[in-house]
Amino acid sequence: MASIDITDIRKNYGAIPVLHGVDLTIRDGEFVVLVGPSGCGKSTLLRMIAGLEDITAGEIQIGGIRVNDLQPKDRDIAMVFQSYALYPHMTVAGNMSYSLRLRRAAKQVIAGKVASAAAILGLDTLLERRPRALSGGQRQRVAMGRAIVRAPKAFLFDEPLSNLDARLRETMRGEIKRLHQSLGATSIYVTHDQIEAMTLADRIVAMNAGLVQQVGSPLDLYDRPANLFVAGFIGSPAMNMLGGTYRAADAAFVAHDNSVVPLGRAYGCADGAAVTLGIRPEHVVVGGAGGHVTAPVDLVEPTGFGTILHLRALGTDLKAFTLERKTAQVGETTSVALPPDRLHLFDAAGSRLS
Amino acid sequence: MGVRNTVSMTAFVSSDRQRSTPVLRRLAVASEPYLYSAPAVILIVAVMLAPLALGFSYAFRDVKLLNPLSGGFIGLDHFRALIDDKTFARALKNTFFWAGASVALQFTFGLILALLLNRPFWGRGIVQALVFLPWAVPSFLSGLNWAWMFNPVIGPIPHWLFALGLTDAPDNILSDPHNAMWGPIIANVWWGIPFFAITLLAALQAIPRDLYEAASIDGANAFQRFKSITLPFLAPTIAITILLRTVWIANFADLIVVMTNGGPADRTQIVASYIFTQAFRRLDFGYASAIAVVLLVLLMAYALLIVLLRQSLLKKA
Ligand SMILES: Nc1ncnc2c1ncn2[C@@H]1O[C@H](COP(=O)(O)OP(=O)(O)O)[C@@H](O)[C@H]1O
Ligand SMILES: [Mg+2]
Repeated sequence: MASIDITDIRKNYGAIPVLHGVDLTIRDGEFVVLVGPSGCGKSTLLRMIAGLEDITAGEIQIGGIRVNDLQPKDRDIAMVFQSYALYPHMTVAGNMSYSLRLRRAAKQVIAGKVASAAAILGLDTLLERRPRALSGGQRQRVAMGRAIVRAPKAFLFDEPLSNLDARLRETMRGEIKRLHQSLGATSIYVTHDQIEAMTLADRIVAMNAGLVQQVGSPLDLYDRPANLFVAGFIGSPAMNMLGGTYRAADAAFVAHDNSVVPLGRAYGCADGAAVTLGIRPEHVVVGGAGGHVTAPVDLVEPTGFGTILHLRALGTDLKAFTLERKTAQVGETTSVALPPDRLHLFDAAGSRLS
Repeated sequence: MGVRNTVSMTAFVSSDRQRSTPVLRRLAVASEPYLYSAPAVILIVAVMLAPLALGFSYAFRDVKLLNPLSGGFIGLDHFRALIDDKTFARALKNTFFWAGASVALQFTFGLILALLLNRPFWGRGIVQALVFLPWAVPSFLSGLNWAWMFNPVIGPIPHWLFALGLTDAPDNILSDPHNAMWGPIIANVWWGIPFFAITLLAALQAIPRDLYEAASIDGANAFQRFKSITLPFLAPTIAITILLRTVWIANFADLIVVMTNGGPADRTQIVASYIFTQAFRRLDFGYASAIAVVLLVLLMAYALLIVLLRQSLLKKA
């Protein structure tokens, strides 16, 4: 196991820059999730750490050793691919033991390591099967077994659950987390799914368009998103974003329809500046006394778990999430409150205001 | 159509008289699928099997074009003659050498070429197109071309070989009894490489990239990746292309007929060119057919072997 230090990493494909300078330190034993929309450069970054892509500029260290010029096999990392990349002509045991056989490990050592990895992953009875005789979830496990057997310095995962159905994805997510808790191996996990990121990560690295947007614990990113991108990307249903201006006199937000939301405290921004107000749907208080505005209900989406209400308020479609079932009828008018301590304010450039 | 309608109507009408004509009815029902497929089967038999059977029958008959009284059944006489035919024995040996060396070299160079073309480089599209050019050259033209190139009077190859010290004098390799066979083989290799390159390249391109990446992370070097990923993926294709090419080349006499005509002293005579000689020089169609039957049996045994091999390879995959 080892720490990984990434310093000002850049990547160009031909003339097209894909990563614009990424700095990141992953501590020994930490589980870091790279999350961001498709095409933002997560896989590229992971593949550069693995040694599968050339590094255009910058430096990568694994366990304090510069690896820029090392072959993948000399970096002592293991990778789990989205497609699993199992060797179709080898059995499950053959797949898992391939790296050890290449290193000419002793037969008993190989058998022991394969058996213990198989036991951890529940693959004991499948060792003699070939990959094509396995289900998606089983293949996924074999791919992880192949990584575990090697006891590498770090595990790299590239969207390992994306090819599974929703139910299995949930199960495997739990297994990966449990596995990390028992092995404690340094792991970098790439996904576009913010739920996976939230549930798995010790720390999340949110990326967009080749740049790191924010690094922090899942709840950091959830409670204090650094910018509009992170605010909108993390959380489902997504955060409400309201356009308007800041009024310094009484520290209030004035929406486009001139309705006023008190912010509760002053923010570091000029009077009349264009700002975006964010509030998560679950923080919008519907009904009850002390509402800022009254709003007609536009749409009701019951999820079973709770209800998503769409309200026409503050010049936009305001979503409110509540765990209650009763709630409102379409067309009915209800009062809406935005608690000041739940508000996020962003400047015109999208950065969080404090 | 007529047959079909009658049958189904019979089946229908007789259903309430089942007891009286059960045999007829059952016969009609049972033969229905065969009657449907009969037209196609008859066509296939007429087009494919009849000529084969006719050719086969010549092997047991005395068919000489110059003898109007010939054509009678003579049993296994041709085959008995074959056993003592020294030229045939030599032709059989030459055929093994011709097909074996040609296929082995075509395959080796074809595989190397496919591996080279499988990696991206500038101008790959044009190189690919050029590489496949020999395939488009008519075999007779390529035979003539190579014959001229081996000819010391107009071709450069004998002089090159001499300059390299490989030969004692700039002589025509095609008239050297010990090495003549290499002439057509070289022409054949040049001509047949594209076939292997094209099929193997297609198979190579179907191998998922990330397998190689996974293997390189697992610690495999280039050779180990080739051995544990490329080869197993290519094996079924290799088996089937080698089968097809061996059978085809064993039957392929064009280059030999054009370049050496079987000479010098039958040193480059293969079974296929010997058949050609018997049939069209000596006009002994019966004997030629008997040779052809022997060749057919040998090639079928070979094909069966390769198909079994391929099946076991596929089962392992
Ligand atoms: N081999 C390549 N050549 C050119 N562009 C590439 C290549 N691989 C990826 N890209 C581009 O780089 C960007 C980042 O890709 P990737 O890292 O795969 O994104 P992600 O994994 O975040 O979805 C994308 O815009 C993609 O089109
Ligand atoms: Mg990706």
